[in-house]
This record gives sequence, C-alpha cells and structure tokens, in this order.
Amino acid sequence: MRWATREHCHVDRAACAWLIRRFIDARAEFVFVADPADVDDDATPFDMRGVELSHHGGDCSFETFLRRYELDDPVLWEIARIVHEADLADERFDAPEAAGLDMLLRGLSMTKDDETMLSLTGPLFDGLYEFKKRALLLGRDPA
Amino acid sequence: MVTPSSSRVERARWVLLAYRLPREPSSPRIAVWRKLKRLGAAQVLDGLVTLPLDSRTREQLEWLADEVVDAGGEATIWLGELASRTQERTLAAAMTGQVAADYSRVIAAAEQAAEEAPGQRKRSLGRLRRELRRIRSRDYFPPSEREQAVAAVEALAALVEEPVG
Repeated sequence: MRWATREHCHVDRAACAWLIRRFIDARAEFVFVADPADVDDDATPFDMRGVELSHHGGDCSFETFLRRYELDDPVLWEIARIVHEADLADERFDAPEAAGLDMLLRGLSMTKDDETMLSLTGPLFDGLYEFKKRALLLGRDPA
Repeated sequence: MVTPSSSRVERARWVLLAYRLPREPSSPRIAVWRKLKRLGAAQVLDGLVTLPLDSRTREQLEWLADEVVDAGGEATIWLGELASRTQERTLAAAMTGQVAADYSRVIAAAEQAAEEAPGQRKRSLGRLRRELRRIRSRDYFPPSEREQAVAAVEALAALVEEPVG
C-alpha cells in the first residue's frame, strides 16, 4: 500500500511510518508531499490537516493510528506517550524522554532527507520498543 | 529608486491564526486559549494570534486550526510580515515583556526556595527547572531576565548539592 504524509518529517510522522511498517503494512511505501492537495487518490494520507489518520481530540497522529487500528499493545501506548509529548509538549503525560527524542529527530530532519530519516528512525523506534517492552515485563528500567 | 537592503533582510516572518469559535461550549475555547498561551502566541486582535514563523510554530498553529474546526469553529492560517518596522518592534517587545515577567517569577521563587528546608528545596529546584524549560520553549525574543533566571536556578542547584549539616 502507498501512504502519504507531509515532507520534512518530524517525530510524529517518523513514529507513524515505523508503526505502519511494523504493525500494519510490512510492504508500505511512503510518499512525501508539500501540500495535502498533492496526495494521489491511491495513497492513504496521515499526519496532515483534515485527514482521518491525523490529530484528533487532542491526540497526535500516532495515538490516532493506535485507536483506529485497535492496537492495544501497552508497549505501543508507552511509546505513544513519548511521541505525544515530543510532538505537542502539552504535558498531558509525564514523559521526560520526549525532550531528548524531539531534539534528536529535529536535528536529523535538518541534515537528512525524508527517506534517509525513516531508514534511521526505524531502528531507533525498534530499540525504544524493545526497551519499553523489557521495562514493562521487569517492572523497572532494564540494564 | 534604491531601497536600503538592510530594511528588507531584517524583517521577521510570522505565522498567523485567524479563528472564531462558538461562544458555547466554553471548553474548546479554553483548551485553545491554554495551548496558545503555552506556545507564547501574541494576540493581535480578538481571534487573531501570531508567532514568529518556523516549521514548529507553523505546524503547532495548523493543528490548533484543525482543533478549532473540529469544535465547530472557523480557522485559517496566514503567513506574513509587518509592513511597519516600528510595529514589528512593538510586537516583539510585547512578547519579550510577557516572558520577562515569567522569568522574574522564577527568579523570585528561586530566591525564596533558598530559605527552605533541604528536602523542600530540592523539590522546588525540580519544579523551577521544569518551569524554566517551559518558558524557554516560548521565548522567541529573549529578555535579559532569561540569563538571570538561569543563574538564580543554578545558584539554587548549588545549594541543593551541598551536604546537609
């Protein structure tokens, strides 16, 4: 399937792309557009103004994906808290990791194109998922 | 005709949100107002707010515009610059004044916390550091109070690190 989002990806779009590839559509192809009007009919848009898979009711797009696809994995919701705060910083959640993640991804988006950005952030979110999974099983941060 | 080039390059670009929300219910109005305050947006007129343009401020105002529309209101996003340099300075000064007042509160609270018992002092330090981060995230035209507030919180941190007794 083809998925479309805005160019110059930041944390929410990078996290959504990882989520799509890993949990929704392993063969996902991504296209990046400057304007929502540029999305082809055969592509599913996300994290753009006025589309279903985007910000809704105070949720960021990553949270919207989890709800729409009924992904109730608690590890994903842990990541959602971090992505929400990195993206919106509205203090709905206590996620001290968010500031660091925001800075790292903002820096990457300054130096890399969107394709490269996703190829780098994919393994990063894989690692974050593994860490949070172990933390949840152990009941404390894993070494 | 020669236009002084300096007057062109120094002009700041702004992102503006023009919006109108139904008077009732009041909760979406309050939610939008809180978010604008957190972003440090300047009120130009009733229903017109602005921030210096960058990718983050533009995106945040775009999400807010969607929130307004979802709540049954109307919203448009504009990009622009002030035609008058004097008015631009006035706007920037108003935004600076707002964060300067916030920094001043941090300075006063840090000085007060120095008098507290060690445990309480440490909790105050955490709270003030978070508050400082919040203010910095909406500080587009830093006032001199910023450095003073950072210094005041660091002085408090030095006290917290001293061994008790």
